[in-house]
Amino acid sequence: MTNNIKLFATASGVAIAILGAAPAFASGTLAGVDIVNQATVSYQVGGNIQTPVIATDTLRVDRKVTVAVVELGSATTTVSPGQAQAATAFTVSNTSNAAIDIALAATNFGAVAAPHGGTDGFNPGAYTFYVETGGVAGFDATDTLVTYLDSVPADGTRTVYVVTSIPLTDGATAITNGLIAAVHLTGTASELDASSTAPGAAITATAGANGKLTTETVLLDAAGTASGDIANDGKASDDDDYTVASAVLTVSKFSRVLADPVNVLVSGALDNVNAVPNPNAKAIPGATIEYCITVANTAGATIPDATNVAISDSLASLPVTYLAAFGVRTGATVASGVCTTPTGTGSFASNTVSGTLGTIPQGTLKTLYFRATIN
Amino acid sequence: MASQSVSLSSEVFLEKAISDGNGQVKIVLYEPKIVTPGDKLIFFLKYHNVGAAPAANFVVTNPLPGAIAFQGSNDAAAELSVDNGRNWGFLAALKIHEVNGAWRPARMEDVTHVRWTMRSPIPAGGQGKLSFRGIVR
Repeated sequence: MTNNIKLFATASGVAIAILGAAPAFASGTLAGVDIVNQATVSYQVGGNIQTPVIATDTLRVDRKVTVAVVELGSATTTVSPGQAQAATAFTVSNTSNAAIDIALAATNFGAVAAPHGGTDGFNPGAYTFYVETGGVAGFDATDTLVTYLDSVPADGTRTVYVVTSIPLTDGATAITNGLIAAVHLTGTASELDASSTAPGAAITATAGANGKLTTETVLLDAAGTASGDIANDGKASDDDDYTVASAVLTVSKFSRVLADPVNVLVSGALDNVNAVPNPNAKAIPGATIEYCITVANTAGATIPDATNVAISDSLASLPVTYLAAFGVRTGATVASGVCTTPTGTGSFASNTVSGTLGTIPQGTLKTLYFRATIN
Repeated sequence: MASQSVSLSSEVFLEKAISDGNGQVKIVLYEPKIVTPGDKLIFFLKYHNVGAAPAANFVVTNPLPGAIAFQGSNDAAAELSVDNGRNWGFLAALKIHEVNGAWRPARMEDVTHVRWTMRSPIPAGGQGKLSFRGIVR
């Protein structure tokens, strides 16, 4: 039979509304919530109001497990050889409609293309994980060391720093400027674990037939970058890399004979930086030699400053005597192997010349020079 | 209690669009075994006058479960309420009183109740089916 539906007299057309559900959770109704639909009929028989008739239908919302791992930012992390803590950043989010634990694992790339260009060239130290807790974006001392993400609520997102150490060498490979280490971070949806010391078992999809009034599990996630991370496996992964930016220092040592006992200085004294050497002076006993050591940092936009540069030069094995009257000079100017224009001084102790050159930006050099007499 | 002379049953199905691989898409109804947020459901209400007398002033009222966002009814004359049954009408005529005091037109997901009012009595033995759609929030 056809429904006889009383059309109430209002609008002439049927409203078409824009659909835009605004649930409390972006991830939707929480798993385990019962949807109870209850309809009531009121009616009259023979003019008498009858007891309303009620019908209900109940179904339970199942658990949709979705975990996502996304690199935070889109640039490599610049590191230096020997750096104790180098961090790449990811966001790990739970858009399941239930709270879950998320296990974390970081794995090295092989010698394949790295995420931000270039090819993976070395493996850094062991990986640890930190969760952003300090409130200031970026890895810092206020962040919390974790082994997994404990009880991430529905819609919960964590910023995870994958922290490693950069070695000076990896096997036979010296870690030098431009080398890249790439890493996959994999988050695995795991059952909540009461101990809060380790994640529960990895969540699996409910197999076979399911019940209307029980909570089943469905895995819904995209394939990730890590090996074996397929779609709908409860895992999510993304990659990032560490690129070594290292100062590339070149050390050169020059010497020139200033004067000998026969061919004396053209002008000035041996302890004077402006003394004019005799071009005919020979390296004979009693002659005075000036040693000029330069430390240069290679030019390049990605080359960082070399900082705290210090230099030492032992004279112990040489048949020369340090000229204390001249001392040790430091500067930043050299021409044809001759250091000039001193701006600082160094020191001499235990037959070793030493000096602090400080910071050497890319494309610049600093010098250290001193004089000695041939024995 | 006297036996009811009207029976009412509520059923819900999961609505899925299935592609046959040839570009044709058909809508298939499933029993809702696995239901997760975003799933489309269709609710059926079947009524049957099992009594010996006509049932008059026949009104079926269905509050929306909280986890369901209303998506419309096939019955153009279904009356809607967005204020827990105090006011009824077509969606276009309904307004929502916002927290800041302003009024705005009601949207589908604001619907709290759906109601059907039968114009004529349901004769003895008469039956019918009503339906509406919802999406799991």
